Amino acid sequence: MTTRPRSKVTPNDAAGICRVACNRIQTNIALAMCRQTLALGLLWAAVLFAPCVAMGAPPDDVPRFNRDIRPILSDKCFFCHGPDSAKRKAGLRLDVRDAALKDEAIVPGKPEASELWKRINATDVDDVMPPPDVHKALKPEEITLLRRWIEAGAEYEPHWAYVPLTRPRVPAKAKSAIDAFIQDRLAKAKLAPSPAADRRTLLRRLSLDLTGLPPTPEQLRAFEADKTPNAVERQIDRLLRSPHYGERMAVPWLDVVRFADTVGYHGDQNQNVFPYRDYVVNAFNTNKRFDQFTLEQVAGDLLPRPTEKQRVASAFNRLNMVTREGGAQPGEYLAKYMADRVRAIGTAWLGSTIGCAQCHDHKYDPINAQDFYSMGAFFSDIREWGVYADYPYTPNPDLKGVGNEDPFAPEIMVRNAFLVERAKVLQQRLADTQKQLVRQTMEAKRSAFNAWLANTRTFIKQHPDGWLPLSPTVAAEGKLEARVENQIVVLHNTKKLDAWDVPGVSATITNLQGPLASLRLDLIPHSEHNGSHLRSDRTQARVYFSAKIVRGDSEIKLAFDAAQANVAAPVFRNGHQLPDNKEEWRTPPGYARDRVSAVWQLAQPQELQPTDKLVIRVGSESVGAFTLSMSPLASTGARHAPPPFGNDDGLPDPNRLPSATARFVANTTNTQALQEVFAFSGAAAAAAPELLTQLHQQRRQWLSVKDGKAPLVVTVPQKPRVTRILPRGNWQDESGPIVTPAVLHFLPGLPPTATAHGRRPTRLDLARWLTSRENPLTARAFMNRLWKQFFGTGLSAVLDDLGGQGEPPSHPELLDWLAVEFIESGWDVKHMVKLLVMSNTYQQDSTARPELMAVDPLNRLLARQSQRRLDAEFVRDNALFIAGLLNEQRGGPSVFPYQPEGYYDNIEFPQRKYITETDEQQFRRGLYMHWQRTFLHPMLANFDAPSREECTADRPLSNTPQQALTLLNDPTFVQAAQSLAVRLLRAHVSDDSQRIKLGFELATGHPPSGDQAQALLAHLRAQQAHYEAHAQDAAKAAGPVLPLGATTATTAAWSSVCRVLLNVYETVTRI
Amino acid sequence: MAKQTGENNVGAYLSALQRRTFLRNAGYGLGATAAYSLGLGRAMAGSASGAWKGVVSQPHFPVRAKRVIHLCMAGAPSQFESFDWKPALKKLHGQPFPASLTKGQQLAQLQNTTLRAMGSFVNFKRWGQSGQEISELFPHIGGIADDIAIVRSMYTEQINHDPAHAFMNAGSILKGRPSMGSWMLYGLGSEADDLPGFVVMVSLGRQGDQPISSRQWSSGFLPSRFQGIQFQSKGDAVHFAGSPAGVTEDDQARVIETVRNLDRLSHQTRLDPEIATRVSQYEMAARMQTSVPELTNFANEPKHVLQSYGITRPGDGSFASNCLMARRLAERGVRFIQLYHRAWDHHSNLTRDMPTAAKQTDQASAALINDLKQRGMLDDTLVIWGGEFGRTPMAQGDGRDHHIKAFSLWLAGGGIKGGVTHGETDELGYDTLPDKRVAVRDLHATMLKLCGIDHKRLTFPYQGLDQKLTGVEEAHVVQALLK
Repeated sequence: MTTRPRSKVTPNDAAGICRVACNRIQTNIALAMCRQTLALGLLWAAVLFAPCVAMGAPPDDVPRFNRDIRPILSDKCFFCHGPDSAKRKAGLRLDVRDAALKDEAIVPGKPEASELWKRINATDVDDVMPPPDVHKALKPEEITLLRRWIEAGAEYEPHWAYVPLTRPRVPAKAKSAIDAFIQDRLAKAKLAPSPAADRRTLLRRLSLDLTGLPPTPEQLRAFEADKTPNAVERQIDRLLRSPHYGERMAVPWLDVVRFADTVGYHGDQNQNVFPYRDYVVNAFNTNKRFDQFTLEQVAGDLLPRPTEKQRVASAFNRLNMVTREGGAQPGEYLAKYMADRVRAIGTAWLGSTIGCAQCHDHKYDPINAQDFYSMGAFFSDIREWGVYADYPYTPNPDLKGVGNEDPFAPEIMVRNAFLVERAKVLQQRLADTQKQLVRQTMEAKRSAFNAWLANTRTFIKQHPDGWLPLSPTVAAEGKLEARVENQIVVLHNTKKLDAWDVPGVSATITNLQGPLASLRLDLIPHSEHNGSHLRSDRTQARVYFSAKIVRGDSEIKLAFDAAQANVAAPVFRNGHQLPDNKEEWRTPPGYARDRVSAVWQLAQPQELQPTDKLVIRVGSESVGAFTLSMSPLASTGARHAPPPFGNDDGLPDPNRLPSATARFVANTTNTQALQEVFAFSGAAAAAAPELLTQLHQQRRQWLSVKDGKAPLVVTVPQKPRVTRILPRGNWQDESGPIVTPAVLHFLPGLPPTATAHGRRPTRLDLARWLTSRENPLTARAFMNRLWKQFFGTGLSAVLDDLGGQGEPPSHPELLDWLAVEFIESGWDVKHMVKLLVMSNTYQQDSTARPELMAVDPLNRLLARQSQRRLDAEFVRDNALFIAGLLNEQRGGPSVFPYQPEGYYDNIEFPQRKYITETDEQQFRRGLYMHWQRTFLHPMLANFDAPSREECTADRPLSNTPQQALTLLNDPTFVQAAQSLAVRLLRAHVSDDSQRIKLGFELATGHPPSGDQAQALLAHLRAQQAHYEAHAQDAAKAAGPVLPLGATTATTAAWSSVCRVLLNVYETVTRI
Repeated sequence: MAKQTGENNVGAYLSALQRRTFLRNAGYGLGATAAYSLGLGRAMAGSASGAWKGVVSQPHFPVRAKRVIHLCMAGAPSQFESFDWKPALKKLHGQPFPASLTKGQQLAQLQNTTLRAMGSFVNFKRWGQSGQEISELFPHIGGIADDIAIVRSMYTEQINHDPAHAFMNAGSILKGRPSMGSWMLYGLGSEADDLPGFVVMVSLGRQGDQPISSRQWSSGFLPSRFQGIQFQSKGDAVHFAGSPAGVTEDDQARVIETVRNLDRLSHQTRLDPEIATRVSQYEMAARMQTSVPELTNFANEPKHVLQSYGITRPGDGSFASNCLMARRLAERGVRFIQLYHRAWDHHSNLTRDMPTAAKQTDQASAALINDLKQRGMLDDTLVIWGGEFGRTPMAQGDGRDHHIKAFSLWLAGGGIKGGVTHGETDELGYDTLPDKRVAVRDLHATMLKLCGIDHKRLTFPYQGLDQKLTGVEEAHVVQALLK
């Protein structure tokens, strides 16, 4: 028996609601229990039954294959009787009509004659299908549907997502095609759309959806007052032009291409990749056509004479996880990287689960293993290594000497707009600090200046190059021996040293007096080592330099602020090149017969006393002969200042320091310049130590960005590797056939030119095919994701699987219309975004109506907008913006905001220390936070941001106590609350009620209701009383800033109110 | 009849939704819509506290274990110095390793090198009435020999730590797969309503440096509420569980109460069921803020208990201290507890580092079993001790390389038969012998069975498949280990 659905819904009658179910529901609930699509789960049961109920679908409505039958067959039958020929049972295939009819599995019109019908109704456990042990029993209503379908002739339909795209007829004349499709469906369901959202709600929604930031109260008021006819459109155009639009649009794209700052496997080292993120943001901001966007990412390196930006885009091919774990086999990991890229194309462009075909033909979709490996073959020309290290068990000449600290080749240096700007800012800051340093030093030590100048000039007379050669006694460690001649000679020693053992030679110097600002090491070729400055068979120097002053019973360990050598190989720490040689000095091969020098400058100059002992340790497994010297002078700070001793970067320069020192100090009459030298030299030590430290920090920051360029992993093409089908995905099995690049065999193929004359198709061909007019998947997949961004759920809720196990779209014609419009607009993303947000459907009120909650609880018919919690990054941005703390700078290296201590303790190779930002970089947008794949920042993880190890088309949307704890206690949000409190207390408003009103408006976009205001006011009063009685707590809770005229207790109480404001539903929800 | 099934599910949900609308029943973690879409209506419903009750409403098998404690020896301990005594290997020590065994096999760092046999450098003893063979490096575990079942015939598919950790924890090397703790929580829910149901701790002060990843306790494609929560060894035990400076317990309570009041007001006008869920999350957060300090305060643990674990400074983050914490978590109804000790990757210096790592873990592991037993909790607590793979019978300098063909681990409590050794390896310990091989998915199936779950029936639809912890290949419960 089939069930006749009721045609009328009684909203408040639960029993009535039960009865509205038509017989498809059950099927679709099962199907709808799809994946991680949490919040919006899926309940498209409601969608399907609601219309068939409300529109009074005829009882004899013939089951449609795509809508009703394919989901059943796919889930219950195709596993054994589907596309995978290897696993096909009894030779029977049900996914193709001819095959199903051939053996009378299905006899159209005659259920009783159909083997399928007999088997699904069999009672014998050996005969019944599906077999009981697979736990896939058919539900009674599914059986009924199958019967009706066979009775009606068992017609098949091609799968909706693979059908060529044609523009469907818009059901009614309307300003917006979107509205026409949505309202057509609503009308059939006898549902009315909701009224337009009020102006404040609408502007906040648009702002959050298009820029990820809320509107200001001023913008809200202006928009409310704007009665001109195009007011809404003008706001939309303004937001689309905002540079924050690209930042908002980038987030889902970065998820789907798995952009992260670290490599993900094992040691999870840094990879240099941020310029790619900036490329994505800019691409959205400049509205780069999506086909061009695709081309540049997939094959930017193959374009004729690629621009720097196109090469940056090609970093896309390097976003897969990679390893340098000891013991990993290159062949195995190359296979993994290829598979990863195929999955990426599948998820990001095709909305298909191609990854399933790595080990076997797909169980549900017509994707076979050949498709998988042929797609992989497109990427076999990418220069890369399976294991990014040179291990003895798999020596790799390309990666000679590469270890855990090194970057992941190949890389190029690219100009970055943020860094160029940042360099200017830092340089100015450095100049300001230096001025201040000189001023303070002169204030404190003016009386010493003249004596210093006289002494220094005397010193220079004696030592015209500015250096005092040191005559030490030496002691060698462990297996080393050393002797002193004119230089210190480390004896050749045949005893083998451990690879990790860095022995040292300590030199002790006595009878020194006066200022000490710099130390110098010269490596001297020596006959002991056959004219080399290195021992034994070494070709490169590696030096760890340290020094201390022994003063009586105590020791002063000398810290350095900078070091520079005239010959140096780059030294890396977790992928980043160190700005100078302070931590470690390495020489490149080929200099062993030269005299080479390095200078270390003390972080705080010292005044040596006659009884002091200066002890310098030269740690090195290679150095053979050297001399040491000291100088009372140091380089001054930055480029803008006269650089008498340093190089243009203000670093101590061993080439300039000698002669320049002498000439400059001896001859100049420029008092200001001399004062600068004074301020950096030993004589002024301790005059302004904090400023000096600050200046050193600023100098290092500046050095790291000074040229405005950054390294970036990019795609570099090479001769393609051979690609084989790997049986069962086994990388060691070389028995599979060789494949060449090809696209999915069941879709329109590459143009003939791509393969003409035996030409091997390239990633360029792949990229062009992805966005060709004939490809039915890319535009559908992209528009489906875009729909989700603005409406909460995709038209097909399963964003990453448009295949048979996904969900047929709720509005298939609308999805196709959007896809065609997207293509025909010239892949114009902004055009499509504008179409979506200009629609009445988008601009509706989102309040849940009780009658809708009954028939369409997941809002798939869109009789209202959906209310949605903000995504992780925007939860952060929103709070910082409300508080007035947000740093709106764009792009640049990823930033390190507050994070719980020790969170990276379990990462090794190398060990990680999280260094929190100390300046305004602390308050950058969430998009720019450092993305550590193995340990994602807890705030991001708690709010469902993905680790980006795999491509993620859809974030889950959970609601957990960890989120509450984050908003309540994470220092970022605590500081935001304190900052908001200060903002409110400084506002020109008449009283606390007005202040609460302003705070609520800042946080939620609208004024509080009477009850809301009352609750906040009561909270304020209670906290005020509490903090007045507890001064110590108040001082802590108030935060670092007390606004003029506000007491500590008041500020603390308002901080508490603001914590409430940042925690409430309406603040973190886009309504 | 067709109609009945369909209607009841929808009806049950909708009435549950209406209850939620009136705030009488708010589940935690999943939004209402999500819960429904996942077919989790039952699990959400009928719980006054809002605690998650799991999707397995009726256990498929008798429940032997109510909770699991996984002592995860990251880096992979050598079976030849712990639980797999190989006298023949010792005789062959220093000699070439038979090429017949290793030909064509995947090796890790020993690839392309000359292979020599390496016998155990320690002696084994027979322990307890059962006479189980355990090395002298583990005398305390020897002392509980009659309570544990040793499996000598484990094998895995992944030869590097990173994917092998993933495989041991999630049964798959693909990223984004749920860990076993997440599966357990999804299936059975938690009995604790003021603590996370899946807690992870990592020892401080260990030797060795095997890195681990938070993906090892990730919920993957399952809702994020099922992810393991890592308790920190420094600072707040749970991230952000400490109130800000100057905010007393009363202040914090007031903030949370005002937030909840305002959210209730929003709910009256907006009718979004997520708001109701949210209100209960803040309640849960408040409970966690008080329960976590209570949990981590060891003051009421008697001295003899601390001594039995070998704890010198309670709460110091040592493996010993974490073992005691595991018992306290188990007492409070936490479903799955995982302790990592990252000290076992002995490619070199085996004779120095293996005894150290053994000493760091031996006493506390045994003490945990004894403590649980004494409290009557061992009967329904399953404890698993082991690494992600084994070590080679061939030498790598003075250490051993990664090995996937055979390794050992042990289980205790929760329906496990004590005093038995299951499976064996060939006489040089290279490969497992047929018949009693135990795959990682078999271990998972066995664990789930003890918890009352048929591994084939704990599924979640993702990327077109009904995904399982045990994957797509056949998995078998190891009956011989069960009481």
